[in-house]
Amino acid sequence: MNPPSNRMIELVHVQRDFRRADGQRVQAVVDVSFVIPEGQFVCLVGPSGCGKSTLLQMLAGLLPTSSGGIVVDDKEISGPGPERGVVFQKDSVFPWMRVIDNVEYGLKCRRVPAAERREIARSYLRQVGLSHVERAWPRELSGGMLKRVAIATVFANGGRVLMLDEPFSALDYVTRRQLQDVLLNLWSADKSGVRKTVLFVTHDVDEALALADRILVFRSGCQVDDIPVEKERPRSADSLLEPDMIAIKRKLLHHIGLDRPALPDAPAA
Amino acid sequence: MRAAGQRIRDRWISLGVLAAIALLWQALSILFPVEAVPGEPMIAGWQVMFSKTLLSMADYWQGGLGVPSVSEGAPRTYLAAILSLLSHSFDTIVRLVCGLALGGVVGLALGLAVSWSAWSRRLVDLPVQFLRTLPLLAMVPLFQLWFGTYFIGKVLFVAYGIGVIVFAGTVNAVRNVPQIYIDNARSLGASKAMMYRTVILPGILPEMRSTLLLSLGTGWGAVLGAEYLGAQSGLGYIIVYAGQFAYLDRMSLVAIIFIVATSISYRAAGALTARMLEWAPDSQRA
Repeated sequence: MNPPSNRMIELVHVQRDFRRADGQRVQAVVDVSFVIPEGQFVCLVGPSGCGKSTLLQMLAGLLPTSSGGIVVDDKEISGPGPERGVVFQKDSVFPWMRVIDNVEYGLKCRRVPAAERREIARSYLRQVGLSHVERAWPRELSGGMLKRVAIATVFANGGRVLMLDEPFSALDYVTRRQLQDVLLNLWSADKSGVRKTVLFVTHDVDEALALADRILVFRSGCQVDDIPVEKERPRSADSLLEPDMIAIKRKLLHHIGLDRPALPDAPAA
Repeated sequence: MRAAGQRIRDRWISLGVLAAIALLWQALSILFPVEAVPGEPMIAGWQVMFSKTLLSMADYWQGGLGVPSVSEGAPRTYLAAILSLLSHSFDTIVRLVCGLALGGVVGLALGLAVSWSAWSRRLVDLPVQFLRTLPLLAMVPLFQLWFGTYFIGKVLFVAYGIGVIVFAGTVNAVRNVPQIYIDNARSLGASKAMMYRTVILPGILPEMRSTLLLSLGTGWGAVLGAEYLGAQSGLGYIIVYAGQFAYLDRMSLVAIIFIVATSISYRAAGALTARMLEWAPDSQRA
């Protein structure tokens, strides 16, 4: 087994422009560079429209960069690849395949023999708690269950990098917390010994604190901070209330602009 | 989901309207007893349609199965009449199905080619968009001169009529496959062929269902049109033949057979596609 790479993901001066309908040029991502070592769980945090989702799309290879380069596992990326799994914000589970066939999909693309891929898919379905619906159609599942299917699918596909684009933002609080645990359990139970490198986009500060080893903060397309979170796992709800975590939270809220009064003109009490 | 009782009542109301139309027809046949030629009413009442008219279908029986044809000197029998209707319907249906299959496959393939690659789009898109404006009915004499009474001519005619609809439907349906599924398949490592087989084809199915039903209607029209041009069998052949002698009752009877056959084909196509859409929400299978 190779030692974990300390440069699993490397972004070099990545830039992305869009041209709006009115002809205006918009810079969605401005000169972003960072390096992520293998096995790290990184959250990309920032207010809506800060370019974090655009960045993830480029990393997934679904959107070309305007300039700059993205290197994953020593290879410059030029498109999507199964070594980089993606969990999307919207429901991406194919409605025309049964749950188990969805989970097997990536393995089928790589011509893994039927018996073997079924076994792998079953194992991940069990780990996300969906063994009982393996033959169900996706329309019969709830939003939270569909997210579990999506997570089982990317884990079954076995990529070394996992990207999630606000995956739980449309779910209720309880479901979101459950799915965070499902994700962390799968991530830490990785049998190969080296955990997946995770990029998790969220605008939820508490979610980032609960999950991340490291938080990259974005605003207006620029990376504005890089905060390590050295809290041991598993993190309980209480551990988020400890002083060091509160200090980080305060910092994040400041970046997002939520530390200022909601009504700036209100007279002081 | 409506209650079963409500559906049964709807069904009775629909049947009532059909019965009213049948009665109206009968009333018209009594009120306007005009004859096209002596003995041939312009509007044939049901008592004529299901006796004399039905029996006259024996004229189109071409013999075989131990039932002699009228042209061999045999008298008209109901058996020959029924066999005649069945065999001519069968010929029409064979032409329709062959045309449907050919037009469907070619239309689908060309429609998929528009999105397959930049090259295939250049090769297909503009030329087919251009060709499909050729009016089907204007091509009738052309097909007649090219293919005469050959089977292939009728099949090609139907296939053309259906192909252009399926082509347009496919191009549109592919455009409407949600990007999220395409992105998901790509990020899971699907090749282009895999993507088309497992994402695009099932993804366009709900929309292709209405395209199929639309093209089925056109197909029935086209196959009759093709049979007007010198076919030696088929429902269209009976209509043309009856028309030459002003047998309006026979034309009406064939029209009714045609309505029955078309309705059955719609039902069959609807049931078949509903099975293929087992995965889809109810709204896409109704």
